[in-house]
Amino acid sequence: MITVNNLCKQIGDVNAMDGLSFTAPDGKITGLLGPNGAGKTTCLRTLFGLLKADEGHAEVDGIKVSENPEAAKQQVGLFPDPSGLYERLTPREYIQFFAELSGMNKADAKVATADVLRHLKMEDIADRRCKGFSQGQHMKTALAQAIVHKPRNIILDEPTRGLDVMSTRILRELLKMLRDQGHCVLFSSHVMQEVAALCDHVVVMAKGKVVAEGSPTELCERTGQTSLEEAFIQLIGSDEGIAA
Amino acid sequence: MKLIQILFKKELMDASRDKRSVMAGLYYAVFSPVLMCGLFMVLLKQFASTEELFITIEHAENAPNLVQYLESKEIQHSNDKTKVKPITLVISDDYGDNMSQGKPAMVTIIADKSDDKLRKSVSRLEAQLARYNSEVASLRLITRGLSPTLMKAVDVQIQDQATPDSKGGMFLGLATLSIVLTLFYAAMNLAIDTSAGERERNSLALLLSHPINPLQIVLSKIFAISTFSMLGLVVILITSKFSYAMVPWEQLGFSVTLDLPFMLFAVVASIPLALMSASLQVFVSFMAKSFKEAQSYVTMVLFIPMMLSMVATYDIATETVQWLPVAAQQYAMIELIKGNAIPLPQLLLSSLVTLTLFGVFTWLSSRLLKSERVVFGL
Repeated sequence: MITVNNLCKQIGDVNAMDGLSFTAPDGKITGLLGPNGAGKTTCLRTLFGLLKADEGHAEVDGIKVSENPEAAKQQVGLFPDPSGLYERLTPREYIQFFAELSGMNKADAKVATADVLRHLKMEDIADRRCKGFSQGQHMKTALAQAIVHKPRNIILDEPTRGLDVMSTRILRELLKMLRDQGHCVLFSSHVMQEVAALCDHVVVMAKGKVVAEGSPTELCERTGQTSLEEAFIQLIGSDEGIAA
Repeated sequence: MKLIQILFKKELMDASRDKRSVMAGLYYAVFSPVLMCGLFMVLLKQFASTEELFITIEHAENAPNLVQYLESKEIQHSNDKTKVKPITLVISDDYGDNMSQGKPAMVTIIADKSDDKLRKSVSRLEAQLARYNSEVASLRLITRGLSPTLMKAVDVQIQDQATPDSKGGMFLGLATLSIVLTLFYAAMNLAIDTSAGERERNSLALLLSHPINPLQIVLSKIFAISTFSMLGLVVILITSKFSYAMVPWEQLGFSVTLDLPFMLFAVVASIPLALMSASLQVFVSFMAKSFKEAQSYVTMVLFIPMMLSMVATYDIATETVQWLPVAAQQYAMIELIKGNAIPLPQLLLSSLVTLTLFGVFTWLSSRLLKSERVVFGL
């Protein structure tokens, strides 16, 4: 479970987070939905202790990130910006490296890596160096890295960027499977379809604040709109920075 | 510790596959001894041979003995405008008469003494004339039944204490300079790539999102870089050994020979330097905002070890400098090749300082990684 409590963060002149609070429960897929610049990435970085909040705190399974970052990070898998692969390593080496970093021993990491590669149908590229991978292959490798050590909580920063239909479907299936296994899945997105198709719980953000929270249907009902997109536009008060 | 090991293994694997960076570091190790070897050959040629000195001698026919004497000392008359130096020795017309009567016979040296390049040749001519003068004078005293030692009020003796090897100071300095600097140049590309490069490729933030602390990341990077600079060191020691063996040292009566004990000593003495070099370059690279900026900063910072090494090479202010990092290690290497005792106090103290610097730079880098400005290049 991930809890964010009254986070405030000023970056330069911008209030990137302005009293942000929400909870992403276990066994649910929580979508962090907001236009570009709403503070989604800032919020996720704070969850990893990469940024320090000026006020408030973030907790992972009840552990305060600012107080015990290593224990908190142990509970989380991060699906990163996929451009950050080590191009000179193969996916197998890359995934295994992060599995070991997350505390698995070598033998377990090896088995877990083979499992995740099979699961994501990546065996054909598993032993090729990442250099020259397509966007989708990058994504899959990054995703495999995030889930290889089966963390209780999984955080994904705009995971479907650049994925083709097949990969998107695989990703969706995977996230649903993780949810059914009781994991807490938190992902940020500005893609409506994605959020509508996947999320049990949506946190709508704008200008560093939570504007509304609830399931996609609840949000539609509350705003009296038929689609999540319309509901969203009504909630944030503009259609700036939204992808349909 | 286990995490450092995992990180170290990955850094090593990642770096060793970056063929260009590794090669760029090793090129220095392979080619600098070869270049040095060429330089030494040229220098030795200049040092060793007393060149023939060609001058203009006017009225040579007046003093055949003197001219013959000078010729035996490789100072001769020549009409060839390309080889002759602008020095003229004029022998007076009454030279022969004065000489036979035991009066001072006049010769005149005409040359521009303000010309630096001529000065050495003029003094050489003066010295030979003075020697001829005293030889003739001694003969005259003997014919008059007097001992020539009367003319020697003070007997100046010079005992040259230079052993053959210690004469080669500059050569040794240059050879060890190229060895010590490998620790810095072989590490440069990797240090920048693994720090500024890692940030630029967006993988630094991902690494930091894992349950490891920045100190572990920094240490593993430094260990990996040091491994490569030590590899560079071994390569340069081997290439130096073989290329310096080709230099015709016998011309000067000393030699730069790198034997196995020296090589082992160099490796051990260089370990603290390799760690310090890696930590310094990683720190500077993290300070920079981009890869390119890191490249310029690191290049600038490398002037410091280079200067320290130069100071040791040219034996400037040896007393104080031999206690400083880089210079002390190099000084110890020079002493070892010369066959002298290793200056142990200097070496130990400077190694300690070097390791302290390694600690400081490592700590500073890990502090930097806690700053969001540095991690995201804000």
